[in-house]
Amino acid sequence: MRGWRSIAVVVLAVCGATLLFWLLVHQVSALWMDVALRADVRQALQQSVDDQKKLRVLDANGSAEYRRHFEETSRLLHRLDVLRMSREQMLQRFEVMLVGLFAVAASLIAMSIVVRGNRGRARERSQYLDRIADLQEIERRRAHETRGPLTAARLELERADDAIARGAPQQEIAAALGSVGDELERLSRLTHRQPSFAAIGAPVLRPTSLAEVVKEFCTTFANAWPNVALRFEGGEARVCADRDLVRQVLVNLCTNSAMAIAEKGSVTFTIARNALDVADTGSGIPESLRARVFDPYVTTRRIGEGTGLGLAISRKIMLEHGGDLQLAGSTTSGTTFRLTFGEMDCN
Amino acid sequence: MGALNRVAPLLLFLAPLLIRAQTRPTFIAQPGRVIAIALPVSLLNDSGIARQLGSGLTTVFLLAAKPRGSARVDIRFDVWDEVWIVRRLDFDGHDERQRITSRDALEKWWSSPLRLLTGDPPHVSVDVTLTVLPFSAAESEDARAWISKSAGSAESGRGSPLVAAVIGTTLNAKPIRSYRWQSEVQLK
Repeated sequence: MRGWRSIAVVVLAVCGATLLFWLLVHQVSALWMDVALRADVRQALQQSVDDQKKLRVLDANGSAEYRRHFEETSRLLHRLDVLRMSREQMLQRFEVMLVGLFAVAASLIAMSIVVRGNRGRARERSQYLDRIADLQEIERRRAHETRGPLTAARLELERADDAIARGAPQQEIAAALGSVGDELERLSRLTHRQPSFAAIGAPVLRPTSLAEVVKEFCTTFANAWPNVALRFEGGEARVCADRDLVRQVLVNLCTNSAMAIAEKGSVTFTIARNALDVADTGSGIPESLRARVFDPYVTTRRIGEGTGLGLAISRKIMLEHGGDLQLAGSTTSGTTFRLTFGEMDCN
Repeated sequence: MGALNRVAPLLLFLAPLLIRAQTRPTFIAQPGRVIAIALPVSLLNDSGIARQLGSGLTTVFLLAAKPRGSARVDIRFDVWDEVWIVRRLDFDGHDERQRITSRDALEKWWSSPLRLLTGDPPHVSVDVTLTVLPFSAAESEDARAWISKSAGSAESGRGSPLVAAVIGTTLNAKPIRSYRWQSEVQLK
């Protein structure tokens, strides 16, 4: 039904445009033809012909010359008469040809627009389905992550209940209840670990030395990821930034890098102008994920290893700095992210 | 006044018939089972045709006859010499050209029989169509070449193929008059 409506709209649009074009062409071509066949032009030519005839009587010696002029003018007059008598036919044919060409061109353009629109809708549907699939995946992860501690806690409670029922030693009951507490603690840690967009505060921007932030980060987190060596290659930029939030971005990036580095590797920081490049020696991001890498809940990790919100949160932070976080490049031997800072007034 | 009122509608009714009778040709049976046609002078006096005859262009009279026959008459007024240049083509290819110096002579020549077709005795049903064209094919071609050249670039002197195509298919003479006559002709 929607397709038929689109076709009807396109047909009506093409017909309307063609009709307007025909009206324009009709006016212009008729005007052009009427100018070419003006009555006063014919009268002037006719007068010239008559004059040549009169002149031969007055000047018999120049008769041959007058005749030559007469025949030239007569020929012109006859050609104009032929055109005048074919005026309507010529206009019709000319207009039909132009309007036909216009209609074909308009139809092609309209078809192209419709095809593009359909492709756009198909792409939009595909993207929507991808997002839904991502959400289903994260829900599955969350369910799996919470089910584990809950199941363990339930089993430990049953064990404690059984121990109480059969009058087991207090030590055994306490051990079972302790395990329940451990599982609940694990569940609590799990829910606190999941970052949320709502938890991100607005950046408090201050004039900041980017080199100082990176150096401090490299020192503080030197041993945070055992398989990753942090290196600062140098460079400096004075930017308006919130040190804590920038550090959170760097933590998120390095956490991802640590996951992507199989054994030992490094993360290198380089500052140039108002940008900070963060390059790792990991296995890279699959090409199919690169376009969606900043979408929430998009992750390459196994269930229980991450929620897929880190890059989304990091990008939001950088956008709020008036800059951006971009994927500068990714191959099977490493990935580089670029943090850019805007030209902002810190006040 | 009352009598006039009664006659006027009758005259109005009869006028087209009278005019039609004046424009009817005469069919003449000639030796050799030939049927000739003598065209009425009133045709030359028709306002549209008379105006065209004086234009200097060639007025073409095409005759198409059934069962099988055709003929053609071309008349062009030479404005410089003030003579009529005429041509007649009979059904059998007989080509006659003349220069006629007066209107009377033209009318006399015009009404002389024109051999149109042959038929089988004793009688033939003739159906003739006369089409009057305002200019000849040669004049049409001359105008086409001229305007096509005008539409081209001044430097190259060559016409635009598109314009030439449009003009080439539109500069065909549109009939200014057409007539149809039917008659039974007795052959000797």
